[in-house]
Amino acid sequence: MIREYLLQPPHSIGMSISGVPSAEAELDDAALVTASRTGDQDAFAVLVQRHQRRVFNLVFRMLQQYEEANEVTQDAFFSAWQGLPSFRGDARFSTWLYRIAYNCALKQLEQRKRDNAIQVAIQAETVDNDDDCVDAEIEAHDRQAVVHKYLLSLPAKYRVVLTLRHLQEMTYEEMAEILTMPIGTIKTHLFRARNLLKERLEAFEHDWKTRG
Amino acid sequence: MKCSKATHMLQLYMDRQLTLEQIRVLEAHVYACPVCREELFLLEEVGRSLSMLKQVAEPADLTINIMRRVALNPREQHVREPQPFVLFRPSLSEILAAFALATVAMLGIALEQPSVRTAVLPGGHNSVSLFFAMLWNSLSSTNNEALMLSLWIIGALLGIWITLAVAGSDMRNVWFRAVVNRLPVW
Repeated sequence: MIREYLLQPPHSIGMSISGVPSAEAELDDAALVTASRTGDQDAFAVLVQRHQRRVFNLVFRMLQQYEEANEVTQDAFFSAWQGLPSFRGDARFSTWLYRIAYNCALKQLEQRKRDNAIQVAIQAETVDNDDDCVDAEIEAHDRQAVVHKYLLSLPAKYRVVLTLRHLQEMTYEEMAEILTMPIGTIKTHLFRARNLLKERLEAFEHDWKTRG
Repeated sequence: MKCSKATHMLQLYMDRQLTLEQIRVLEAHVYACPVCREELFLLEEVGRSLSMLKQVAEPADLTINIMRRVALNPREQHVREPQPFVLFRPSLSEILAAFALATVAMLGIALEQPSVRTAVLPGGHNSVSLFFAMLWNSLSSTNNEALMLSLWIIGALLGIWITLAVAGSDMRNVWFRAVVNRLPVW
């Protein structure tokens, strides 16, 4: 049976995109999770609508392919639905959900590696598109374009920490919980990633000055 | 402050992880050092550019597709009962270590009894016997409350050690994570 919510377009998610979700939202999450655990699909649909944008963006920044991110986000939410009975509530629901999404995206990246032909095709397509787009912006001396361009070339482990820190404004502790890594490793990845981008930006500035 | 240390701290500064005192020292250094000032400028530029990345809008039919899959694939109702002792899997070496520690603890308790002490400890007049006798006498002649307290602490530590050894590495990891998660973050 198609439920009422399926007929409605996805509306604005009920939490702020940036920053930590409010206590009220967390309270609602807890009630919705309890209902979802007993099989209430309406409650789960609200959870999906509330978290789908952040989950989708995390997956998209890791995979850099819109359609693939769409599929993997669906897989992540479906896995969360199947795994809800085993969710003990030790961590926040959002943390648990992002961890599932992160693992699904990692699995997809490994799948890509196994299939070299697809990987080469995807990378070629991505690089071509990005180069066309970014080169035009670089001519306009846009530092942001440089950063955005080289973000795409970073390894996934660096992209994910940058996404969580700068787009989702998470703390080291939240990132450590989602990625199941020690805080020291999170810091190392984050600092190296920013240093790599900084070096690129520095080189760009240098080139720009020498070109006059 | 050296530039190498300042460079490392700049990233923590960006993430608001420094204390007020550290911020004061770092800002004084950055004010005086043009190299670190340039470094901070570039890092802030990177941070600003990353923050300017827009959230990508998810596909309009994402919720519908997810809920369709949920509706078509009902969840398995069989929920496995949690098994609290399933992680207790000590290895052979851990069991042996626990056994050795328990033996030490038992010896300590037994040696407290004078009759056991005389039966167990060597009774001769050689140097080993004299050493043990002297050690015991010196312990007994000290402050009795302090002695009991230290023995109690040693006993408690041995107990904790034995528990950790018997628990096995999986359970120790669970406990360790639980403790770390509750520690204050600075």
